[in-house]
Amino acid sequence: MGSADGAAVPAAAADTRLSKYNPLSRILFFDDFDAGMNGWCELVGNHTGDLRQIREIARDFRPPQLSSCTFFDIGTHGSLSGTYSLKLATRAEPNSLAVAIKRLTSAGLGLVQFETYFSIKAEQVFRSRPRGVSPERGWDGNLAPSELQFGEITFSNDICSSDPRSRCHGVVRYRNTDPAGNLVQQWMHPTSAEPTTKMERQGLVDLADPRIDFFSARPEDWRTLPDGGQTLCFNETATKVNWHYARWLFDTRTSRNVEFQCNDRVMDLRGVPVPVYDEEYRGLANLLNFYVAVRTHSGVRNFLHLDSVVVSVDW
Amino acid sequence: MLRRSFTAVLEKGSTFRGDFETEPYEAGWAREARWFVRVLDSRGRGALRVTPEISPDGLHWCEEGTAAVEAEGGEMVSLALGNFGSWLRLRCAMGGSLREVRVLIYLALKE
Repeated sequence: MGSADGAAVPAAAADTRLSKYNPLSRILFFDDFDAGMNGWCELVGNHTGDLRQIREIARDFRPPQLSSCTFFDIGTHGSLSGTYSLKLATRAEPNSLAVAIKRLTSAGLGLVQFETYFSIKAEQVFRSRPRGVSPERGWDGNLAPSELQFGEITFSNDICSSDPRSRCHGVVRYRNTDPAGNLVQQWMHPTSAEPTTKMERQGLVDLADPRIDFFSARPEDWRTLPDGGQTLCFNETATKVNWHYARWLFDTRTSRNVEFQCNDRVMDLRGVPVPVYDEEYRGLANLLNFYVAVRTHSGVRNFLHLDSVVVSVDW
Repeated sequence: MLRRSFTAVLEKGSTFRGDFETEPYEAGWAREARWFVRVLDSRGRGALRVTPEISPDGLHWCEEGTAAVEAEGGEMVSLALGNFGSWLRLRCAMGGSLREVRVLIYLALKE
């Protein structure tokens, strides 16, 4: 296929399902959730068959759903393309976290790019002054009270080469509000490694903090990414779904972040360190996993919708 | 393409100390649904009475109409649904002197 002036059009640009993405040279997978779950499933903590062995924080990451974005006021909203999106939904409990994962192994090392169109929403609640909204603030007809009930989303990978000491997680988080309900609206990265079942069984994880964070050793171990302040388009109402573009580039050869983009904001992550583990992890050769997660602070159910996902590589 | 299916584990050994509902689950893409419920452990004597509910929006609920079933003693019980709205959940009520249950609840969906 060629353009009007005869120049070649990249394959991705010629396919209207892919033309909204910017994939690297090889598309590893393109998941359109109108075609099903595509291997995205609930993350679960490690066990040997007895579910009571699963550490508390990793016991209830909620099953993903295929959502038509249907609401009480307008009915079905649909997704960016087609009807269905992948939906992660927390419980209506503070600190509830929903995590979906897709598991691969890698046939090479180098750049890996995760792209998606996503939307974030808090569940509609029928109270005039939802938790987290002060009476003084009220509702001015513009700012959505439910925006203050949305906590955060997290994108993560899980990488390991054939060296059992090479495991790491690259992690990018959008913190919309803090646990007190104050708007933060920043992209962030963790400064400590994600605690594991092995670490917990070795007594290396502090389990006492009620705000325990699955993605970092301590809740305060987060820093804002360079140019990481960004207001997303919540759009005034709990039932209006606006899709946002995200692109995250990671180098598995060096286990380093490269770049993160959300809409027109491009953040250079080359100086953002990726926490490393002190422990060995066996049985994970060539591990290449992708996580997406949503956490509520307010106790109102929080939702993360993904219209589709493209992961591409330069190898 | 083959008909798609998906099984969600709504409760994975969770413990409840009173009546409860399962989390709302969207199933608009599915033609048929089947719930599976097992009470793994319990305190008190009695059965868990399980009633299927449906919703158009995930917020407002009514009974689906299929007769409730009772789960106790580790036995698997099951409920089949069809022609439902887009959202499904179970209402689970403690019977007799039952005061605590640890449950496994699956929702199997098919196009």
